[in-house]
Amino acid sequence: MQLTETASERALADEVRTFLSGEGLRSPELPRELDERMVVLRRWQAACHAAGYVGRAWPAEFGGGGRPPVEQIVVDQELAAAGAPEFVNIVGLDVLGPSLLRFGNDEQRRRYIPPILSAEEIWCQGFSEPEAGSDLASLRTRAVPDGDRFVINGQKTWVSWGQYAKFCGLLARTDDSVARHRGISMLIVDMSSPGVEVRPMTQITGHAEFSELFLDDVVVPRENLLGELGDGWKIAMYTLGHERGTAALPRQVKLRTWLDRAVSVAARRELGGRPVLEDPEAQTALARALIEIEVLRHHAYRTVGEFLSGGAVGPESSSVKLLMAEAEQRLAATVLEVLGPTLLDGDPDEVPENDFWYETYLYSRAASVYGGTRQIQRDIIADRILALPKE
Amino acid sequence: MDLELSDEQVWLEESINTLLVRRWPAAEAAWQAGDAERMRLWESLVEFGLLAGAGSDLGAIELCLVARAVGGHLAAVPLLGSVAVRYALAPFAGELPDGLAALLSSDSRLSIGLLEPGGGWSTADTRARVQSDRLTGTKAAVEHATAVDHLAVVALVDGEPGLALVRSGSPGVELTPQSALDGTVPLSRVAFADAEVEAAVEPGLAEKILERLVSVAGLLAAAEATGAAAGIFEQARAYAAERRQFGRTIGSNQALRHLMADLHVRQASAWSTTLYAAAALDDGIPGARLTASVAKAYVARAAREVAHGAMQVFGGIAFTEEHPAHRFLRRIILREQQFGDAAHHERELGRILAAGAIKEGVAA
Repeated sequence: MQLTETASERALADEVRTFLSGEGLRSPELPRELDERMVVLRRWQAACHAAGYVGRAWPAEFGGGGRPPVEQIVVDQELAAAGAPEFVNIVGLDVLGPSLLRFGNDEQRRRYIPPILSAEEIWCQGFSEPEAGSDLASLRTRAVPDGDRFVINGQKTWVSWGQYAKFCGLLARTDDSVARHRGISMLIVDMSSPGVEVRPMTQITGHAEFSELFLDDVVVPRENLLGELGDGWKIAMYTLGHERGTAALPRQVKLRTWLDRAVSVAARRELGGRPVLEDPEAQTALARALIEIEVLRHHAYRTVGEFLSGGAVGPESSSVKLLMAEAEQRLAATVLEVLGPTLLDGDPDEVPENDFWYETYLYSRAASVYGGTRQIQRDIIADRILALPKE
Repeated sequence: MDLELSDEQVWLEESINTLLVRRWPAAEAAWQAGDAERMRLWESLVEFGLLAGAGSDLGAIELCLVARAVGGHLAAVPLLGSVAVRYALAPFAGELPDGLAALLSSDSRLSIGLLEPGGGWSTADTRARVQSDRLTGTKAAVEHATAVDHLAVVALVDGEPGLALVRSGSPGVELTPQSALDGTVPLSRVAFADAEVEAAVEPGLAEKILERLVSVAGLLAAAEATGAAAGIFEQARAYAAERRQFGRTIGSNQALRHLMADLHVRQASAWSTTLYAAAALDDGIPGARLTASVAKAYVARAAREVAHGAMQVFGGIAFTEEHPAHRFLRRIILREQQFGDAAHHERELGRILAAGAIKEGVAA
């Protein structure tokens, strides 16, 4: 058991902090306009990659750092603590990059991995469909093998950063004659191919960070198949588990920075002539949010430990995912309750702060839906950990 | 940064479980255990080295592993106080008065006297006091008070909270049995009227020792509750996989599958936070006391939630005296109430959060 950072981990954390406070490399303020924001975010990821903070544990021959996985966690935690924005190629880094590394051939890895790390090429994932959400295996998008190519027709949804993506990791049905999980393959689709249409969708936060994707006779060369024909489901489950297993540690750091921010806002705003934070009920509510964030951290350490020592990301990552959503949603709702009427008092100076909390609250509602809903996570636990009989 | 148990810790856990299987009745029958069974288990635990090792070879992690096993088997011996006090004193052995230093190499059974009638679990609520080596005051909910050799009593020494060691049967110590939800862990109100103090820790040193004592005692209570929660949960899981209604096993119903998935998350995360807080205490990480508060607060709610959910899975049968569910529930509630329940620790953490004292990680 090892709680404290090793000397080398501490040195790395110091190095990242120095980097983050360096002139010109300070974590960027993000423009609200999306195109401008993308430019800033790509530049930010490129700068972090050049410094060795992106893909630190990925193989060096493909542009990664070749370092132990724990180092990426140290880096991610420092970035989150400093309030740095999430890397814009998050889908490439968390989902498709790990899939390419695990299931891709060397040619694919050489071609696709380096520009994922540098944010030169943004990736999106084409998994969900309007009629295949939680029931992903029922997807209908078809990729018909035709000599040395596939012809794809269908529709995808919740495609994060779809309008900016160069490539899409797409799940499509390649075989109708086998059980539905087995007939799915993973294809790399060039988003500039004829027949690809992207329609941005606006989220409840007002941002258009995801899109609908329409595919009409899109031609993809055979060499863009990831893994073997019919491996798509296996790859998707691997990547989703990977996403769940490792995202929690930087996430809990981010939640902690939000909690600290909420505490300082509650300290400077007044209700009835007294700081909001002096109210014992407000204190207790914030303490409960703190407890959930801390427990998320502790539980993630225990599950990530298994991952870091070489084990696969197992079904216990579903517990982490549930705790993560719970902590985030509790925190966001708690802040609205604690700040209460101060959110409504019309002080023009407080508009940006209020907007931040409204957006944080609205965004938190997605936490129990994306990456497998809360109900899907419970099913995974019931099946794979508790071995309960299936319905 | 990992929370994996070492091979030695895994071995310890397995050994204690084996010992409990051999030396203690099954959880279902544990409530019937008499003095003979308790003595037999106690002697085995002493022989195993729990008292000698507490605070030296055995850190809070190891002691929590033992406490979790104790909870899973619903064992009832005066272990919590005996190991918690030793754990709290051990690092300061060289600075202790003779009577307390001697305790570390003895087999003395111990109970902690902290709570007072009308007070809370904070040592700041202490009114009992030591004057001229005599203790006066009243402590409540002292467990196994009739079965222990010594009472470790939190009492004012020179006006500040200190720790006084009193022999259990000595003159001026009056025990009154209290009603208790878990009858296997008898509680007493203990009145001290000029009772002789064998040794006392003076303020200053006492502050460090009391902080460590309250933290580890809370974690041991949490670990035991986690063990009891895991015990009843596993029985409910097995039951749900077998019991049939409407022509199908009840565990195939989504309502129960999802309920049990949530309970799994609660008990697994409850153990993670207990283990983390124990490791923080062992490593002497700044803020370890606050992390112990986080763990105690969380487990207090989580263990009860698991017991309630498991009882719902069992249905009516869990409402019968014969069924063991209520035995687990009783132990869980007892350990929830001791050394600060969720409300106590949430208030405490909230106050500290407001005071800006935990700007960075509670225990990074």
